[in-house]
Amino acid sequence: MHDFLSILPLLIIVGGAILLMLLSAFEKVQVEIASFISMAFFAAAFFVQLLVGCGPETVVFAKIFNGMLVTSNFTMVGGLIILGCGFFTAMSAHSYFKVNLFCTLEFYCMMMFAACGMLLLTMSQELISAFIALEIMSLSIYILVGYDRANVTATEAILKYLMLGAFAGAFFTMGTALIYGGTGTTKFAGIATMISATPAAHPFLIAGSFFIFAALLFKVAAFPFHAWVIDVYDGASTPVTGFMATALKTAVFVVFANFLALSAGMHSSWITFLFWVSVLTMFGGNLVAIGQSSLKRMLAASGIVHSGYLLIALVAISTDHFTGSVIGYYLAAYAVGTLGIFAALSYLGGKDEKRGTFDDFKGLAQVRPYSAAAITVFLLSMAGIPPTAGFMGKFYIITSAISAGQTALAVLGVISSILSMWYYLRLVINMYFYEAEDSFEIAGSPLATAGTFVLVVCVFAIGLYPIII
Amino acid sequence: MIQHYLILSIILFCLGILGVISRRNVFTVFMSIELMLNAANLAFITFSRLHLSMDGQVLALLVMAVAAAEAALALAVVILLHKHKGNLDTNVFSLLKG
Repeated sequence: MHDFLSILPLLIIVGGAILLMLLSAFEKVQVEIASFISMAFFAAAFFVQLLVGCGPETVVFAKIFNGMLVTSNFTMVGGLIILGCGFFTAMSAHSYFKVNLFCTLEFYCMMMFAACGMLLLTMSQELISAFIALEIMSLSIYILVGYDRANVTATEAILKYLMLGAFAGAFFTMGTALIYGGTGTTKFAGIATMISATPAAHPFLIAGSFFIFAALLFKVAAFPFHAWVIDVYDGASTPVTGFMATALKTAVFVVFANFLALSAGMHSSWITFLFWVSVLTMFGGNLVAIGQSSLKRMLAASGIVHSGYLLIALVAISTDHFTGSVIGYYLAAYAVGTLGIFAALSYLGGKDEKRGTFDDFKGLAQVRPYSAAAITVFLLSMAGIPPTAGFMGKFYIITSAISAGQTALAVLGVISSILSMWYYLRLVINMYFYEAEDSFEIAGSPLATAGTFVLVVCVFAIGLYPIII
Repeated sequence: MIQHYLILSIILFCLGILGVISRRNVFTVFMSIELMLNAANLAFITFSRLHLSMDGQVLALLVMAVAAAEAALALAVVILLHKHKGNLDTNVFSLLKG
């Protein structure tokens, strides 16, 4: 019974996705209704996940799935973030598609299938099921990126993402094959016993883990593999970009942490590699972000920087009693800030996303003071200023790095966080210290606006949560 | 004997990487990616033989299913690209820059 309850959120999402897929055969069902249905399913799955809880690590249906799926508190937090992201994305998409008319029912269906792949990915403790979950997620996201078929930019974005994503997927499979060759199993638990049994690492195991790290680093847009993210985020429509930036990153980081924490031998042999990747990701991302004039491209680049901070947390995890609490907290803090700003852009962007650069938002505070204040809160949270969620998240990451003995990494993280103020505050200055040239009229539904203000509350709630508890 | 299959698989994988990097036609690039996936499948089956277990064969079947799904989407994208530009050269697609 407990096994069934642990995967109930996943089943709810799958059921909702299939229901929407069937409904899209009927012409009478309208797109707005589909968005409400998907919101309802996301909310239901969220509360089920919250109520069920998870407790310690449990292997779900050990006999049927042969130990492939494992739930723990960490996967529960990952699941909650993903479901929350899905809910708020459906909200902002509802408003976005009032003015940008290219939506059909399948949009929400694909979004739920993507969420189902992400939930599976967080739970999977076996490389091939992780690969299949990764592909369920990626294939749905590819379609969402290129959803506006008449738009050449979106088509180009899907081409780039699909080519590079499939390339990374091929590396993941080859890595799995090599690990299978080296250890004779693809289950995390089996690999861990194999590593502890033989002190000298098998060459196949090293090569295989390297390929898998390359594929996962590609998915989270870490340093050598970050170039695609800016173009793809720019080409995709705003709600989809928000969904990709938050939920996808959450799912991949959860499986990344699970894989890395499978044994102390695995973690310690890759720690130097991850150290340099995280440093280069933070500073490379900052350099790219400073030069951008488009808001979406700046946010994409800032997403690279946040991947860098999360990699610090991965370097600092302890494999003996792995909980993933620091990573889970930071992912939640990052998700609310980023989702909030993309929800705000969804309703402020206007038809065909005509407002998209820093200059377009000059003087927003005079015309729409509440929206400007909300965006400022999100930006301050991403920059890491107290008392927001982003500050607490960074605080935990830096302290965990110091207690793991990685003082240099902690210092570099703080420096990078100071550098990132440059481009976050630039938007705040544009909004508050210029005369308004635009009237910022908003057509469409108030749902995205409502979502934005709920997320403002979340930023403070998540930021103050550890103090209250 | 086993290592011959492994060497073939690695050669196929490297050919795939080479194709992705050097070819300019979208179609050829996708075909190269399929080649890489099949190289991985060959490696799975070889290791399955080496370990005398059937796991690898099952995994290869699963990878094939995923590769088919990916190919379906890739072909749809190729058709879409051809509609927009009438050309499948990757150099034509250069709107997103900066």
